[in-house]
Amino acid sequence: MEIAANFIPLNALDVTYLLVVGFIGGLVSGFIGSGGAFVLTPAMMSMGVPGIVAVASNICHKFPKALVGAIKRARYGQVDVKLGIVLGISAEAGVIYGAHIQEDIHRRFGDAGSNLYVSLAFVIILGIIGSYILWDAMKTRDTANDKEEKVARLARWVQSIHIPGTMVYFKSLNARVSVLFTLPLGFATGMLAATIAVGGFIGVPAMHYVLGAPALMASATELVTAFVMGLGGTMKFSWSGLVDIRLAMIILAGSLFGIQLGAIGTTYVKPHMIKMVMGVIMVLVLVSRAIVIPVYLSELELIDKLAPHLPGALKNISFVVLIAALASGAAIVFSALWRGISLQRREAAFAGAPSAAFAPSTVTTPISPQLSPLGRFERFLVATDGSEYSAGAVREAINMAQKCGARLHIISIVAGDAEIESMGQPLLKKELDTAQAHLETVKAQAEASGIACETHLVHGSNVHQEVVNEAERTQADLVIMGRRGRHGLARLMVGDTTVKTIGHAPCGVLVIPRAAALSGRHFVLASDGSRYADAAAVAAVNLAKYCHTPVTAVSVIMPSHSEERRKEAHSIIKRLVAFLRKEGVTAEGEVPLGQPDEMIVQIAQKRQADLIVMGSHGRTGLERILLGSTVERVLNRTSCAVLVVKTS
Amino acid sequence: MTDSTTTGAGKPLTRAVVYGLVSVALYFMLYLFEDSILAFTSRGRWYFIAPVVIALVFSYVHGAFTGHFWDILGIKARK
Repeated sequence: MEIAANFIPLNALDVTYLLVVGFIGGLVSGFIGSGGAFVLTPAMMSMGVPGIVAVASNICHKFPKALVGAIKRARYGQVDVKLGIVLGISAEAGVIYGAHIQEDIHRRFGDAGSNLYVSLAFVIILGIIGSYILWDAMKTRDTANDKEEKVARLARWVQSIHIPGTMVYFKSLNARVSVLFTLPLGFATGMLAATIAVGGFIGVPAMHYVLGAPALMASATELVTAFVMGLGGTMKFSWSGLVDIRLAMIILAGSLFGIQLGAIGTTYVKPHMIKMVMGVIMVLVLVSRAIVIPVYLSELELIDKLAPHLPGALKNISFVVLIAALASGAAIVFSALWRGISLQRREAAFAGAPSAAFAPSTVTTPISPQLSPLGRFERFLVATDGSEYSAGAVREAINMAQKCGARLHIISIVAGDAEIESMGQPLLKKELDTAQAHLETVKAQAEASGIACETHLVHGSNVHQEVVNEAERTQADLVIMGRRGRHGLARLMVGDTTVKTIGHAPCGVLVIPRAAALSGRHFVLASDGSRYADAAAVAAVNLAKYCHTPVTAVSVIMPSHSEERRKEAHSIIKRLVAFLRKEGVTAEGEVPLGQPDEMIVQIAQKRQADLIVMGSHGRTGLERILLGSTVERVLNRTSCAVLVVKTS
Repeated sequence: MTDSTTTGAGKPLTRAVVYGLVSVALYFMLYLFEDSILAFTSRGRWYFIAPVVIALVFSYVHGAFTGHFWDILGIKARK
């Protein structure tokens, strides 16, 4: 059988070339979800493959590659299959419409018109989106804790819109979003894919900035969308017999090595690296396309004719820049992977070494995000029972979420103890209905303030355990709650839900008494020099910087303390004040003599502070009863908010 | 297409070798029967299914091989 006229014979050099370009393309695609394939069509055309066959064969290698990448990244928990498929289906419509526009322009203005249209699309779209992504990557690179991403204002608005009958829950957003928003985004992704062969340059930023998916999940989910689009495209071209299966499979051989490596790379990097690679590639690609625009303008006689040698030279330079774009992306991925693996090996070696036995001379900044809960402002869990005791917590949680761009999870627990259940189901139902109505009211308040909000009604016997479970389930960064004060024997017998929650919570707990308001007037940071207090210091710095609030650091000495302990308290305060000032926070220190809880509360009153920040030693059960807890005693005494910072 | 674990059938190295050999065999067959395969897959219309099936088979086998390949080189995802 003879090879059809559309298909060129291949030699060893061609195969090697395709394997290498395929590998680099796959590496970039595995990392940013797309963007690795745009160079393959011109690369194949440079070998003499007809344009349409190059496009068809490129698509035929893309869909299995995207499938392998999506499965790999799904193992790392980064893929939202539902969102990928929903976007993919509307993207198919976009592809068909985009191709129709292309054909129309080609019919009216010929090759030059079509090329000009594609180049202008590259320059305008990549110019706007690429430079924004690059700017955002630079901005988040400099933040203290960029593992934690803020949900963009636009995404918060999109998530707050409720259109009945169109709402779908997406796990990557941890929110319900109307498909009326996802449809046009998918359509635009498809249109771009049909125009410049890389829909992901719209798909990934759309998922991240418009819908609110984390950058890692957006880039992983794009692989599902690319699979759906690629499968449809392959069927379409294959129906016309245009796929060169040899070219597609050779590129696939290289790209599957690349996509696996790119996917592994995402587990070592911070989210801004995804944006950085995408931004760099987009900007370089637009430069590559901008270089050839004069050629097409000249061919359409819109500008003076270029010198005979110039069009060829510009096209060559453009192709070199295109290759450079891909190579730059691959270099960043390689370097991130190398540094990530080296760091992990060093950490593993360090973990095996014996720990230092002396106190640190500087404030220890926690490495884990969970250790500095106020480094991240993404998810707040508010516990409310609808009573006056939790009103302050709800009010301040909404204020804080609005300022920080956080999502609210509001939980109300109807105690399912024997007492209530013995009174029968009607009473329980009434309790549940009342709690549900309260949750709806709070949700409406939150949404009116433009905050993405979810409510959870729980029926359980153990209130603090339900709050802790919910904090773990929602990966809350902060639990916000009020408190019902119980004192003396009642505390010992019954315990206190807030204190028990503090004891067991996986994250920090902000306790807000009903009359307290967090206006950022003054903070008091209490420290005993322990690593728990250091974590509190880091949280206080983050919060003080955010609110531009002065801080008074306090370390209390007791009459029974030795001279050595007193000196230590002074050095603790000196160290904390230096740390706070170094971070740009206005800070003072005090070393009062007396009972720690009394002194902390007194200083808070004297300074008219609206927040006391403390570390928690995490004592629970018998240990708490026997040793007591300064945190608990401060909570009992003060009328201002208290942030208890937890360390693991 | 899978990450290696010791709970599955065989060790990562064995599985990498097996998938690698099958992958090489598939590519060798593509080279050997190049003309026939190309003619069959480019007939168009309902034969469109042929490139799709070939792509899926290659991606399954070769994807599994490449996954194990990086694994046995010690390049694994961060836990």
